[in-house]
This record gives sequence, structure tokens and C-alpha cells, in this order.
Amino acid sequence: MDRSELTARLDALRDATMAEAAEATDVATLEAVGVEVLGKKGRLTEVLRGIGALAPEDRPVVGAAANAVREAIEAALDERRGELRSAELETRLAAEAVDVTAPGRPVARGSLHPVGETMRAIAEVFGRFGFTVFESPEVEDDVRNFQMLNIPPDHPARDLWDTLYVDEPGYLLRTHTSPGQIEVMHRERPPIRALLPGRCFRYEAVDASHGFEFFQVEGLMVDEGTTLADLKGLLDEFAHAMFGADRPTRFRPGYYPFTEPSVAFDVECVVCDGVGCPACSRSGWMTILGAGMVHPVVLRYGGLDPELYQGFAFGMGVERIANLRHAVGDLRLYLENDLRFLEQFR
Amino acid sequence: MRVPLSWLRDYVEVELEADRLAERLTLLGMEVKAVERWGADWRSVVVGELLEVRPHPNADRLSLTRVTVGGETLDIVCGATNIAAGQRVPVALPGAMLPGGRAIERTEKMGVVSNGMLCSGDELGLTSDAEGILILPADTPVGAGLMDLYGDVVLDVDVKPNRGDALCLVGLAREVGAATGAPLRFPDCTVDEGSDPIDALLAVEVEDPALCSRFVGRHVSGVAVGPSPDLVQMRLMAAGMRPVSNVVDASNYVMLELGKPIHTFDAAAVTDGRIIVRLAHPGERLETLDHVDRELTGDTLLIADPAGPLAIAGVMGGASSEVSGVTRDVVIESAIFDPVSIRRTAFRYALRSEASLRFEKGQEDRLARLGADRTARLIVEWAGGTAAIGRIDTAPDEPTQARVAFRPSRVDRLLGASLRSDEQQALLARVGIATEPAPAGTLVPIASSPEPLSVTAGEGEALLAVVPTWRRDISVEADLAEEVARVRGYELVPSLTPDTAMPSYLPDPLAMRHAVREALAGAGLTEVVTHALVAPAADDRFGPLDDGPVPPGEAPARGQRITVTNPLSREHSVLRRSLVGSLLDVVGTNLRHGRSNVAVFEIGKGYGRDEAGIREWWRLGLALAGAARPAFWADEGRAFDLDDAKGLLELIGRSIGAGRTAYAPLHDARDLHPGRSARIRLGESTAPTLVGRVGELHPDAIEALGLRTDRVIVAEVAVSGLTEGVPRPVVALPPPRYPAVERDLAIVVPEATPAGEVMETVGAAAGPLLVGQRLFDIYRGAPLAAGDKSLAVHLEFRSAERTLTEDEVETIVAGILASLGQRGWSIRT
Repeated sequence: MDRSELTARLDALRDATMAEAAEATDVATLEAVGVEVLGKKGRLTEVLRGIGALAPEDRPVVGAAANAVREAIEAALDERRGELRSAELETRLAAEAVDVTAPGRPVARGSLHPVGETMRAIAEVFGRFGFTVFESPEVEDDVRNFQMLNIPPDHPARDLWDTLYVDEPGYLLRTHTSPGQIEVMHRERPPIRALLPGRCFRYEAVDASHGFEFFQVEGLMVDEGTTLADLKGLLDEFAHAMFGADRPTRFRPGYYPFTEPSVAFDVECVVCDGVGCPACSRSGWMTILGAGMVHPVVLRYGGLDPELYQGFAFGMGVERIANLRHAVGDLRLYLENDLRFLEQFR
Repeated sequence: MRVPLSWLRDYVEVELEADRLAERLTLLGMEVKAVERWGADWRSVVVGELLEVRPHPNADRLSLTRVTVGGETLDIVCGATNIAAGQRVPVALPGAMLPGGRAIERTEKMGVVSNGMLCSGDELGLTSDAEGILILPADTPVGAGLMDLYGDVVLDVDVKPNRGDALCLVGLAREVGAATGAPLRFPDCTVDEGSDPIDALLAVEVEDPALCSRFVGRHVSGVAVGPSPDLVQMRLMAAGMRPVSNVVDASNYVMLELGKPIHTFDAAAVTDGRIIVRLAHPGERLETLDHVDRELTGDTLLIADPAGPLAIAGVMGGASSEVSGVTRDVVIESAIFDPVSIRRTAFRYALRSEASLRFEKGQEDRLARLGADRTARLIVEWAGGTAAIGRIDTAPDEPTQARVAFRPSRVDRLLGASLRSDEQQALLARVGIATEPAPAGTLVPIASSPEPLSVTAGEGEALLAVVPTWRRDISVEADLAEEVARVRGYELVPSLTPDTAMPSYLPDPLAMRHAVREALAGAGLTEVVTHALVAPAADDRFGPLDDGPVPPGEAPARGQRITVTNPLSREHSVLRRSLVGSLLDVVGTNLRHGRSNVAVFEIGKGYGRDEAGIREWWRLGLALAGAARPAFWADEGRAFDLDDAKGLLELIGRSIGAGRTAYAPLHDARDLHPGRSARIRLGESTAPTLVGRVGELHPDAIEALGLRTDRVIVAEVAVSGLTEGVPRPVVALPPPRYPAVERDLAIVVPEATPAGEVMETVGAAAGPLLVGQRLFDIYRGAPLAAGDKSLAVHLEFRSAERTLTEDEVETIVAGILASLGQRGWSIRT
């Protein structure tokens, strides 16, 4: 075989292979072509075996030509491979298309009850001012629910708390969280900053603003120099945290046997902004809690010397605060547990 | 307390506009709940003069009238008989709207057109007279709107229980004076007396002065009982009391005016003119004014005569001695009774009244005399008759004013103010509290209970407050601090952020509850809050669930149930001992609303009592029903099953760091499916972290409760830290440095063998290098023998110190196989 013949065979191999590559319709066929031509036992190797028979001066020339053919074939294969791959990918992508307008897979997300979350929000505000949560029993005795709070038996102020009594003599369902004040004073020494959230009970017919079970948060702060002015400042901070920094507040006299002086604390009506509407009985104000300076009698039952220590207490209805935060008008909704209501609190 | 402003003006000058007055009273502590426009519903009611009254041609009982209302003359048909030409009467014009929404139109009555209506006092809500037309004074301007003449503003004042003295117009007039400085005009209590001395007509004997510290009696003879003057009736109506007769109205008028409940007797019914104030004899009976015949208990204080009971003192009069149309002579009772006795009696007979409410709060002693005199004066004025000379008075010495020492410096310290003592004195003077210097060594009263406490004032430190006799609420220093603060105005209290010492840090007892709540809400459950008071049947069915030793720090669910003795309803009459019943209520309600899925939880208390006393315990309860996953276009839906509940409890277990999980079959729990319920216990047996039960509701229970579903899964568990725990910080390990070796085993066991037992056997045999075991398949059927099942578990072995060799793992697996073989279980290969 001479040089020209060999060169011709190389050219023929190149042309044939490029034609085959162009005809391949998938990558696997193409790779098979590549192996058949360029592999160790491929057709190119077979052609190159003839080089040994050439004159020494022809060998580099044919060798160079062979390399050029190899490169040309590889380039053709690469090009065809690229074409085939993009075609295959396109086919796959087209096949994989979905209806992206269909809705996504639902993920279950539960909800936390607004009463619990409101109590937590209240505790968070007072927590900033150093108040810690305490708890006391819900089944109380008359002594702690009333007498230690300066409400003796047969006191007319008992009318303020219609009471549910139980079949254990002397016991009742606590009508307010205030007995917790006594509990805290027995457990901690001043300075005291305590918050007492919890369930309370009253003999009360159910309507949009009353229930026989409800939740309260009580607060108690006692130290040597805790004043009515401190109470006002703290309640202002609370009202601003809950209802907005520019919400006007009103501090006015109230009455509770266990505080002296006693306070009622109002915020400007959140419905009408003080104009006067049915929600605020046209007064422009909504009472959100009762408070006052702890009565000396209560301090004494708590084991504290009223000459040395003084402080304040406050109590608020959780549902009332929740109503105002969430624009709810009927507190029966909280204990009805209709999921259509509760699931909004997500 | 309803306060007609026009009446209030009898006792104090009021220049403020009504809304402003309401605000001032509120800021003074007399909260005005509502400002009512009295008469606002007399639209198009005007004063008319009757020009002519003649019989109706077609109806005997009707009259035809011609009325001028100033300019216009109207023909009006009227059914009343008390009218005559020349009278001035209220005329409702066509288009008028009367109280109660009654619309007046031009109508035809028996063939005659009537252009409106002449009104009775009752129709206008002005007086109680429904028989006749309201005849207005002759000088009433014709054509004037009735609202302009008789319209009023009525304040509804919430007088607090400590201020019984303000539960009357005079008391509130004093408060107005405190706000504005206007002086009080006390009502005239002088009596024009006749010639008979009262001693000849009335004798009073008080058997128990502790229960009736003072009894003042007056006697008026020759009265003509009839309606009160219209103005009086109008005032009583506006104040919310129905006029009865001039004599009875006089006593009610004095009660509203002075706050002194008064009772009047027909003197003819008082045997021998002798009144005896005594306790009832057991078995004695009295027909009270409401015509109920009552058997009296021995602790009921009575007004009696020698023949028997006349009235329940301070609570309700008797029918036999009631003042009526035939009454000629009247005995007036104005007494001071023991507040506690009255309160108990009123509750005992369920007869709480305006009178008993005032007695309960305690009465100023002086009012016994003033009330008797004022009533006698008004009776003579309105009903005629002659008052006997003098009064019967069982305790005529009136107590002097109390003196209460206080330290202005201490008032300042309490209020966070810096008021000079002369400023404090001036403020107190506005509510009638005079001040005097206190001598050295004066005792300042601090508290009256548990036993009286007072401190000795330093030199010049204290002042003596001279407390008006009506202010029975002022007895200790703090009471004066409140007076100073409220008269000055709470709006002047500075608003300061507390800057005193902070308490030391304490953990939040709710932290664990919050962590569990977050975990379950994150897992898709809705938190509910249900009633602690439930029906007895619900408690019978579900509580208490005692599942053995509870986590340390948690309380066991134990004890008899606690029953409310005065429940609002049977549905809410006992304290629950389990949350399950309440949760099933929630499930039932929501399924009835058409929900396809309900997944709820509650962290709540159970309650019980035993020899140790009252017990309360915290539990986590959950209930699952319906679709765990709704059908979705790409997925099939799936219903909740037992494994969902178990998975949720295991999630809680993991989040609180519980170790081992153990379930034990529970075959005999009432209301649970015998094959689908278990006790669950997470953590070590000595210190479990989650203990309770989980199961599917028994089909019988589903039916009994009327639940609209096939399956409900419930659980109730005690969880470590629910009572007052804080989640512990995670103890974190670095990622493993050495690879794991994994093996799968298919273990063939009899059908009845619990998977938990098999996995425990594997775990025990494997030792500490087994770090994970997961049951991934349960297979039944060929080629297994009938009655067998194959449990496929995936095992993960790992050492923290080195790479495990194949040989090591093979040795462990051989040990596991040997252990399984000993139990008679085989391996499927």
C-alpha cells in the first residue's frame, strides 16, 4: 500500500464516519459509531496499521494526515453529540411539562388559640418590665378568694363577684386571679413583679360580653417605693404596646376592696377613636382593666409590713383584650371552638 | 342609680352641660354608665288646650274633642273621662311616635276622624296613670313641645358598694359639689306638727338593739291616699320607680333623695299602736307585699306588733299593714338595721330590693331621724293629714364625727406625688372632710384586719381628718390618700416608668406549655380552649385517666370529682377530670358544621379531691378525626389513624428530649377500641417524660356521642414540665466522624406478637453500637405460614470512635439472630 492509497482510505473513512455521525439519531448510536471508528480495535487503528509498510519519509506525512482525520471525526462526533443532547433534553423537558396553574400541595399548619396567645402577648409586654409569670389554684377557699383580699363574709362588695361554690366545704371556684397576689407574697420577698394569668369562674349568664368561665391576667408589683405614678406609667406603656403608641389613655378612680386607692383604666375607644359609638356606650372610652395600690390589709395577709412595703395590683379580662386586638365583638366565640373561627389565628 | 338632672338640681347648682357633668363625675369615681335623654321619644307631642268636649255620636264610651295646639285646631276622639274644656293636655300629633314605638296616625274612630291622640301619663311614660289623660298645669304654654317642658337628662351612675352614702340624689349632689365647688341644698326636713303627742299613738320596743340600733317612728293621721302630684310621679318614673300612691311615693322619694329606706304602715293594722322589733319565732308566717305567704326562719328580723309579724325588717312589708286607699292614719318607720342581717335575710328570701341594697351597705345613723321627718313632711304636703308632735326614737344620741389620723408625707409616698399638707387639706375640704392638727403620739390607723394595726405618728407628722358622718368608708390612712387623689384628679397623677429594684430572674412556668403548643400547631393541629365545667355524664364517661406513675413534677390524675353546688346548668356542673370529653365535644360540633377533618389539642387542667385535699393536674389532650390529608389533584387523601396520634406524641417526646418509646396494648379501656389503643410511656421508667394513653374511640362510643364519623383518635397524656417546666437546652453532638453500617432484617413472628416486643428484643441483643432501628414493612401472606407476619427492620450500626468492620457487625447480627431464635422467631432470607 502506498502513501496515496493510504491517504485516500483515510479520507474515505473520514467521510463515511462523518456521514454515519450525521445519520445517528441518538447519543447511544453516535457513541457506537465513535467506538467503531476511534476505539482501540476501530477502523482508524486498522487503517493506521498500514503505516508501517510505508517508506520512512512518508510515515510522518500520513501520520499527520491520520491525526487530522481523527480530529475531524472527533469534532464531528462532538458537534453531533451536542445536537443530539439538546434535542433529547428538549424532548424530555417537553414531556415533563406540568400545569403550573394548578394549586400547590397543601401543607397543614395548625393554629394557637387567641386566648392563650393574648395572655402570652400580655406577659411579653410586662416581661419587658421585669414581671415573671406565677400561677395559683383555680379551686380556692373563701379565705384566699375573699377574706384575705379584704372582703369579709357578708360584705356588700361580694355582689361584684357572683360565685360558683363547690361541694368541698369552704371552697369555691376562684372568681378572679387576685388570690394569686397572696400566693406570690408568700413565695417571694420584695421586690416583687408578678403576673398571674389563668382561668376564672363566675355565676354569670352567658352573653356577648359575659361568660361563666373566662381568663384574667393579674399583676402585682411591691417594693418600698412603688407608687400610684408607677402604676400609671406602666399601664400607659402596656396600652401603647397593645393598642398603639398614640392611643390616649385615662386613669380614673375605681373601687375594689383589695386596693386603696383604686383605679379604672381606660383606653380611647379602638372602634370610633373617641368619637363615641355603641361599642363604648358613646363615651369614647373603653375600660380595659382595674387596678390600684394594694390595700394594707392584703399586704398583711401576704406577710408584708404595710409601713415598709407598698405596691400596686391590676387585673384584666383576657377575652376583653383579645376582642379589642382582633376586632371580635362576642366573647362566646372563644370557648365555642368553631374551627372556622379559630383557624383564622394562623 | 338613675339620676334625673332636673331633680338633682333641687340639691345643687349644676351649670355644666350633661355630658361634661357625666365626665366630671366619672373622673371623680362616680362612673356614669349612660347619659339618657328622657323624653327623646316624645316626638310631635305638644301641649294643647281643650276647647270643647262632647259625646261621640256613635259610641257611648268615647268623646269628641276640639283642641287647639297654638294656631291649628284639631278634632280628636278620646276615650278618657277626666277631661273638660279649658284643660291643657298632651297631644300626640299624627306622625308622633310614643314610648315603646307606638305610632300615632290620623284615624277614623266609629265614623269620626281623629287627628291625633290625647295622652295619659302612662302612655308617655311620665306617670303611672293609665286611666285618665295627663292634665297639665293651667299655665303650661299651648303649642310647646312636651320634650321641651318635661324632657330631662337622666344619668345612670354606677355607685360602688363602698359608697352607700352616694346611692341617692343628695349624696351625688355632694359629689357634684366636690367637682364644682357648688354648695349642697339639703332638703327641708321640718314638719308642721299638729296637737297630738306621738307617745299617745305609737310605742316602739326593740328587743335586739344589735340588729336594730335605732328606730325612729312618726305618725300622720287623717291622710287622703291618692295619686301623687304629677311632678313627683314624673320624677319617680324618670328615676326608674313606679308611682304607687302619695304615701308610698313619699317613702320612695325619700329613699331616692336621702338614701334612707322608709317603710309606711297603715296605723289601723298596728295592734295597740305598739311596734316590736324582734327575731321571728320559728314557724311564724307572714304574707308579704308580693302576696306570698312565707314561713319565717328564726334569724329573720321582724317589725311586729303584739298580734304578730307586720314586716320583714328592711326587706319587705306585710300585706296586712299595707297602706291602701282606705288608710287614714300612717306610721312611718325609719330605722337602722344591721347590714349583715339584712343582707342574709334578703338572700334567704330572694327578696333583694332597692331598700335592702341600701341597708346592706350600712346607713348613716342621722338619717333615721332625717328620713322620718322628711317623709312626714312630704306625706302631709301630698296626702294631707296631721303629723303627731315629735317622734319615737329608740336611740336619739347621734354619734359624733370620726377622726382618722393620716400623714401627708405617707399620702405623697403612696401617690408618687409631692403635695404640701395644706394642699391636701384643701382637697379634703371639698368632700366635707375638715382637718385638725394631731397631737404628738397620735395613732395613725393603717389596717383593720387581721387585727387592727396602727403606727404612732411623729411630732407634727400627722393630721386628724374629721370625717363626715355619712362617709362610713373612711377608716384608715389609705382611704384618705384615695380621697386626696380623686378630688385632685387621677389625671394629674404623673405617669412614671418604675425605676425601683428589679426582682431576680425566675423561669417562666409556661415555657414548656408554650413549646408543646408550638410543636403541635406546627404539626397542623388547632389549639382549643374548652370549659372546665362539664356535664356529670361526660365526667362519668372519661375521667379520671390514671395511667400509673406520672413524670416527676407532674400531678397524678386522681380523686373524686368536684361538683358545683349552685351550677348555672347541669351541662356545666362538675369540674372535669379528663380533657377527652371536652375534645370530643369539639370534634362533634365541628363535624356537624360539615367539616371533613378535625385535628385539635388542648393543654388544660383536670380537677379532683381526695383525703389530701383539692388536686389539679395539667394534661395534654388531642383528638383527630376525618382526613389527615385531603385528597389533592396529585395525591390520594388519607384518613387519620392511630399512628398519626402516636407520631404526634413521639414528636412531643422528641421535643422534650424523651429517650425510649414504649407502647403497651390496652384492651380494656372503656370507650377505646380494644385492638387499637395503648398506654404510652416515653423516657426511662424511673423518670418518664410522657405518660398516658392513646387510642381509637370505640364504635359504641362514637355512636353514643352521635359523632358523624367512623373513627376518632384521642390521646391524653401527662408531659414532663407542663406544670411549670422549662424546655432543657439541647445537648448537641458533632456529626458522626465514622460511617454507619446498615443491615435489613425480616423477622418472622406469630401475628399476635407485638412489634414493640420484637424491636425491644433486637435492641437489647444489639447493644450500644445499634444507633437506629426503623420498622419499615410488615408483610403477611405467601410464602409465610398462615398466622405469621414478617417485620422488616432497618438497622444502623455506628461507633463514635472508629469505623466498624464487617466482622464486628456480623458478630452483632449473629447475636441478634440468636436472641430472636431463642424466642422462636426466624429470619426470612
